[in-house]
Amino acid sequence: MAYLIGKERIVTYLFILLLTVCLTAFCGCNKEPAKDITFAVGGAPAELDFWQELIAEFETKTGIKVDLLRQPTDTDLRRRGLVTSLRSKKTNPDVFLMDVAWLAQFAASNWLEPVDSYLQSSQLDSEVFFQKVLNLADEYDGRLVALPVYVDGGVLYYRKDLFEGFNIKEPPELWLDFVKQAIMVQEESRKTNPDFYGFLWQGAQYEGLVCNWLEFTGSRGGGIVLEGRDIKINTEENSYATQFMYDLIHRFKISPPNTYTEMREEEVRTSFQQGNALFERNWPYAWALHQAQGSPVKGKVGIAALPRFADGESTSTLGGWHIGISKYSDSKQKSFEFVEFVLSYDTQKKLALTLGWNPGRTDVYTDAEVIEKLPHFVSLKTVFENLRPRPNLPYYTLLSEVIQRYISSALSGKLSVKEALSEAEEEAKKVIEKYGRKQD
Amino acid sequence: MKNMAENRIEEPGMLTHRDIKSACLFILPLITLIFLFILVPVIGTFINSLFQDVSFLDKKFIFLKNYQQLFSDPGFRQALKFTMLFILVSVPLEIVLGTIFALLMNADVPLRGLLRACVLIPWAIPAAISARTWELIYNYSYGLANFIFTRLGITSEPVNWLGTSIGAFGAVVAADVWKTTPFVAIIVLAGLQSIPEEIINQAKVDRANLLQIFFKVTVPLIKPVIIVALLFRTIDGLRVFDVIYVLTGGGPGGETTSISHYAYKYFLSGDFGYGSAVSVVLFVVAFSLSVIYVKVGRFETGQI
Repeated sequence: MAYLIGKERIVTYLFILLLTVCLTAFCGCNKEPAKDITFAVGGAPAELDFWQELIAEFETKTGIKVDLLRQPTDTDLRRRGLVTSLRSKKTNPDVFLMDVAWLAQFAASNWLEPVDSYLQSSQLDSEVFFQKVLNLADEYDGRLVALPVYVDGGVLYYRKDLFEGFNIKEPPELWLDFVKQAIMVQEESRKTNPDFYGFLWQGAQYEGLVCNWLEFTGSRGGGIVLEGRDIKINTEENSYATQFMYDLIHRFKISPPNTYTEMREEEVRTSFQQGNALFERNWPYAWALHQAQGSPVKGKVGIAALPRFADGESTSTLGGWHIGISKYSDSKQKSFEFVEFVLSYDTQKKLALTLGWNPGRTDVYTDAEVIEKLPHFVSLKTVFENLRPRPNLPYYTLLSEVIQRYISSALSGKLSVKEALSEAEEEAKKVIEKYGRKQD
Repeated sequence: MKNMAENRIEEPGMLTHRDIKSACLFILPLITLIFLFILVPVIGTFINSLFQDVSFLDKKFIFLKNYQQLFSDPGFRQALKFTMLFILVSVPLEIVLGTIFALLMNADVPLRGLLRACVLIPWAIPAAISARTWELIYNYSYGLANFIFTRLGITSEPVNWLGTSIGAFGAVVAADVWKTTPFVAIIVLAGLQSIPEEIINQAKVDRANLLQIFFKVTVPLIKPVIIVALLFRTIDGLRVFDVIYVLTGGGPGGETTSISHYAYKYFLSGDFGYGSAVSVVLFVVAFSLSVIYVKVGRFETGQI
């Protein structure tokens, strides 16, 4: 008898356990938000708060309820979050921001709703955007899959006050003059500041290294040459430019030894801002921070296009964030209304004035109020005309990973430049062989 | 009373139908959990690894082609080599240091409670945060390591700690050892406390010196515990990710890319089949190592 009670108990406990598991597993389903669309965006807390404000404005204007899905600041984490929900065909998020480097992957995976037809029946004119950006980044297989919210490109920052002190008239156009000036100023400044370096750029093993490398090689007329399923990385121009990057650190010593280990955007930005460098390669976001209250270099910074070699052109790698609609969204029309709102003149102007974002619309760059507050927008517009995209391939990340690894090897001296480039080319070929679509 | 007890002792040899049934009921929840949260993902990952599962290409069954590519992939071989080297260096260091800390914590020293709490701190800090702290220590321009070295005159110029293969390797190992030694210490401490004092006293009566007591009495008795610690640390070491992600990003030149970091890169770029294959290899390596440890562990306990 006693045994029987024990058994009953077990069954009761098991039943309770099962019930709790079911309850915890399914109670999530009942909490379906009463929102029309979900917008996924990441960034610093201040940026997210500003998005929340914009959303409130959009909601009162249209009556469409938007749920803000707050993503982390880190680009890779933002991407992982989106890839996970898109791969499992979830209806949320409906609309989101994407880094320009993922566009091809997302488009080729058929995750993005083409926006051409929506554009035609809307007030938004695609002519207002940087045409080069639209053609090079947002178009995939002849259809527009995204629109630029924020256009980015590598620029050169320089110290105006040091230029005056050393009687340098203008920012250098050629790398040759650039190196001479950097060496001269570095030698003098070292006497008072032992941490001073001529030039800071992003050389750590990450995506930023590829952006920098494309600018150096581009300014020599090189880059990644793609012809069908053939790729060329180990070229004369690339080898010259990569050697120059190595020389900046090891021969001229105008870039610090930790360039290839630690230098990412923020390390470069803070070091320059502390007054430890003459030149800095960075994205335009650094401008507002350099000019902020309490910045030691406030009012002493100039902005220019990156230098070039005698037989090349100044090159700036295209970066930035684009807005797109999920193929699996259950309210695409409402999502597009939100896209339209984000890309409207007023919102783009607000994003520029509040967050310092460089709009994807060209007309904001000539707005009097914007220019008064952000005078560097005038130079940015010219820089953005030299924009050069990273290869628009769905498997770009894997290609970039190979390039990062070998350029990093070359910069650390583990491999010679020639070896690094030829091995990178070899591996890049394998990547294309594996992931490139067979041409019919 | 006596009779009843005797009756009970006789019973266990013979399992009745009822006993088996209730035993099954007891195990059922555990089996369900293992099935749901361990077997299903493992089998799912394995099945995935047999496919060309790239988000932007057609999904198709390619059997072992992912594995074939894996073993001719220099990037994967480098990651495998690094991960093996990493556990070969870091795990023994952690075990030796952990045992020393455990002995100290077990000894009758003043402020023992405080000492125990202090030793545990690194283990309590989230890995990403401790890795960030180490990043600040190694930092070239304002790191603590360079500050101390240049102040003491050991080096005249700051050292780029993460700049060479050996430097980056050492930096990752140091950060991991710092973080996980307390874990070993706690496990070994538990083992030390289970040693009956009489045995130690007996050894003292037999005039064994401290070293003899340690190697002939303590070590054999805590061997099973050390093997458990070894098992945990080896498997954890094989999967090392956070320290590397924060500290070196796999650089310089891919020298410090671990297997999980390598798999992560493929998952991120949309090749789930290949990423799964990398994960399966990692699983097989970890599983075989655990089997070896468990075998060795059982053998040892059998001897005691």
